[in-house]
Amino acid sequence: MSKLTDARDVLVLALRRRATPGPGGVVGLKAPLSQSIPSEKPRRRARAPLSWSMRIGAAILLVYVTVALVSFVWTPYDPFQPGVGDGYAPPSMEFLLGTDRLGADMVSRLMAGARYDLGICLVAVSISLTVGTVLGTIAGYYGGYVDIVILRIVEAFQAFPGLLFAMLMVKAVGPGVPNIIMVLSFVGIPDYLRLARAEIQSRRDWQYAEAARMVGNRPWRVAFRHLLPNSIGPILAFTSINAAFVALVTASLGFLGLGLGPNTPEWGNMIARGQDGVMTGEWWVSFFPGLAILGMTGSFYLLGDGLSDLTDPRRRR
Amino acid sequence: MLLRRKQYMPLTLLILRRLLWVLPVALGVVTITFFMARVFTGDPTELYTPPEATDALRAQIRAQLGLADSLPRQYIRYLHDLSQLNLGTSFTTGQSVGSDLWLRLPATLELGFVGLTFGVVFGIPLGVIAAVNRERWPDFLIRGLTLGGMALPQFWIGLVLIMFFFVTLRWLPGPVGRLPVGVPLPPLVTGFLLIDTLVAGDFPKWLLAVRQLILPGLTLGLSTMAPVARVTRSSMVEAMQSDYIRTAVAMGHSKRVVWFRYSLRNALLPVVTLIGGVAGHILGGAVLLEAIFAWPGLGQYALQAIERSDFAALQGFVIYASLLYVIVFLIVDLIYMLIDPRMRS
Amino acid sequence: MTEPLLEVVGYRGAFRSPTGELTPVLHDVSYQLKRGLITAVVGETGSGKSLVALSTLGIQPPSFRRTAGRILFKGVDLLSMDEASLRKVRGRQISMVFQDARAALNPVFTVGRQLADVFQLQHGGTRAAAMAQAIEALRLVYIPEPERRARQYPHEFSGGMAQRVMIAMAALVCQPELLILDEPTTGLDVTIQSEIMTLIVDLCKGRGLTACLITHDLGVVVETCDEVVVMNAGRVVETGSAEAIFTAPKNDYTRKLLAASQLVEAA
Repeated sequence: MSKLTDARDVLVLALRRRATPGPGGVVGLKAPLSQSIPSEKPRRRARAPLSWSMRIGAAILLVYVTVALVSFVWTPYDPFQPGVGDGYAPPSMEFLLGTDRLGADMVSRLMAGARYDLGICLVAVSISLTVGTVLGTIAGYYGGYVDIVILRIVEAFQAFPGLLFAMLMVKAVGPGVPNIIMVLSFVGIPDYLRLARAEIQSRRDWQYAEAARMVGNRPWRVAFRHLLPNSIGPILAFTSINAAFVALVTASLGFLGLGLGPNTPEWGNMIARGQDGVMTGEWWVSFFPGLAILGMTGSFYLLGDGLSDLTDPRRRR
Repeated sequence: MLLRRKQYMPLTLLILRRLLWVLPVALGVVTITFFMARVFTGDPTELYTPPEATDALRAQIRAQLGLADSLPRQYIRYLHDLSQLNLGTSFTTGQSVGSDLWLRLPATLELGFVGLTFGVVFGIPLGVIAAVNRERWPDFLIRGLTLGGMALPQFWIGLVLIMFFFVTLRWLPGPVGRLPVGVPLPPLVTGFLLIDTLVAGDFPKWLLAVRQLILPGLTLGLSTMAPVARVTRSSMVEAMQSDYIRTAVAMGHSKRVVWFRYSLRNALLPVVTLIGGVAGHILGGAVLLEAIFAWPGLGQYALQAIERSDFAALQGFVIYASLLYVIVFLIVDLIYMLIDPRMRS
Repeated sequence: MTEPLLEVVGYRGAFRSPTGELTPVLHDVSYQLKRGLITAVVGETGSGKSLVALSTLGIQPPSFRRTAGRILFKGVDLLSMDEASLRKVRGRQISMVFQDARAALNPVFTVGRQLADVFQLQHGGTRAAAMAQAIEALRLVYIPEPERRARQYPHEFSGGMAQRVMIAMAALVCQPELLILDEPTTGLDVTIQSEIMTLIVDLCKGRGLTACLITHDLGVVVETCDEVVVMNAGRVVETGSAEAIFTAPKNDYTRKLLAASQLVEAA
């Protein structure tokens, strides 16, 4: 296996590992047959404590979801309607966060923006997660030619800088929310694939997999019904990092004006359109959308920290 | 710690093998770019043709741009050119892509190194402090800061810094590029302004270059610092739970020795990988950062190439970026071999 | 009757789950380690034998909490010592050999360096002198070509060799009064096991060390130990001299353990 693949795997695993108190021991990926843990059901403790990270992260995310949903029904002003106020009006009682260059209310646009940034993110991540994990499980379990072919293709795509690839694809497939979602899903697949593949490969020879095979299960059943559920932990923990990345790429694409209409209240787009204002002192147009991104992406990271704790198999009593 | 003589042979083999591995990857990447680029909506010919042109003129321009042949033939021709190390000609600059890339490389590298150095020099100690003070206030503070660094888009951080230090405080110059407007470049030696100005003995200009570097470098540095600190922290905490640290404690070593002599050394491995990943990303051209700070580097070049459907330039850039990744990870591997003896066998 | 070197008195402890629940794992554990003797603490995995040993040096798992009891070393309660005093005890007076030697040694430092570091820590002196002592220690545990081996890394050693290094570190470089060995031969090949055990016994008897050998394998106990403490599920079920335990076990569990290890020969 090339070092590039090893290095990325190490990185992802290092990122998802959170220190938990427990007996010392360097955790390796491969456990010899004699030491494989017979039952590795992820623990669903009824009273498993949720760490503060997770609680705060979930709470913030919930707020964002609420705001996004509410924005369909109500916003202080019409987010798509310019001229409700003067252009570049500073924050005031009337317009809590000011207005942008065309006079549209910032609060309303920020609320509506949640639909785009959050929505695109969640959908794209779900798709990446599913497709990547399935492909990775196949590659990891069956091995052989299937594995090599899939891996090489994935490596070729992974050698692309992520943002650049997204930019290229968006230009190629054209603008529009569904296209952006598709592009972003595509960008995320390689990482899930690699992760799932690594996890499945390490468990393929463990005792319980042997047992499942001996009982007569078909390979795909062993892979998907037995091995995959136990591999979910690090994959789920990675989801949060991926979500954060997708959110930032969405904002970047919006900033560049790629893929969504120029008046779309997507936060990255709003930052870009407020650039002139920055130079002349109207800071609020670019500033607040950034905070919105911070909150959302931050909550993903916080949730991720919490998730990796929960699903870490080293969490012994 | 240094490699023994008998290990130099496999070392050169490793380098060769890695460089050989570049070729199929580069080929794959180029092919993907090639076909994706040409699937752009809108024939780029239109961008380079005056609106009143006749069909004949249009056809002539299209042929000049190299777009007259069928797609497969264009591809073969491109590969042929590549084998002769010809990256083609840029539609926008009219120069060879190779020379374009070469000219813009120092700007990106200079900014990249400054940002990377900042990020590592501050990130690792912060990570160590957070690890040593786990679950106490320095840890929470650092984790909060790094969360911000990772959750915020780089371009926003840049804009806020500009807002604060340039627009409001007027302490630092505006985002106009590597030197203030109207100031000519020093005589070209390396392309790195910080070096070339000193070589020319032009200290005031050196200072100007430094001042222009501060804000973009700081932006890059802050967003680099965040993941470095985080991985250092988690890596050290994990090392502290290992058996060998338990042995060191059992033998009576002081906390200081255990943390800084043993733990840190072991913890650096994942950090090195991370820094490699970040370096590859940065040195590949921070597209948005260069856009905000009007930095004439490769990121800006790539952005223009995408916007103007400049196929050759785009492909050239992509080749550069993927080559760079491979080189960076090769360096990471070499560093690994230096610091992790398990990798040497 | 000499006073015991180490005495565990009514030691109770529990694991604390992240929710705060306490799961008791040690129930009123009491035993003594007599000077100059090798005492075996035997029991199956999970009986809590290692926990007591780790507590002695203050390196028990963070989720483990003592609920009662004392561990007296030469009359002083180790559990009430502060970190600074405990650090003086570690290595200098009590030291420990761990189970998986290759994992217990730092992978990025040479073996010689690690030994020398401990030597300098305990005895001071120059780096060169410490290195020389390290090589000598390797020689004394019968590692061939000690000068060359000292420059190698833990992963270049086999399990048995690494365990010798571990023993060199804990028993020779450190010069403790009490040596605790936590499953030192588990996981090694059977022939290597007996070699390691011979080495341990030689060193201990030769230097008058008091040793505590923790193991689940009665096979290594029978030829080597003077006293035996039998533990089951966090309790001490029987103690006595090795001869007594093997020939006339009083407790049912002890008998089951003996039967299972097929050591029930005519004594």
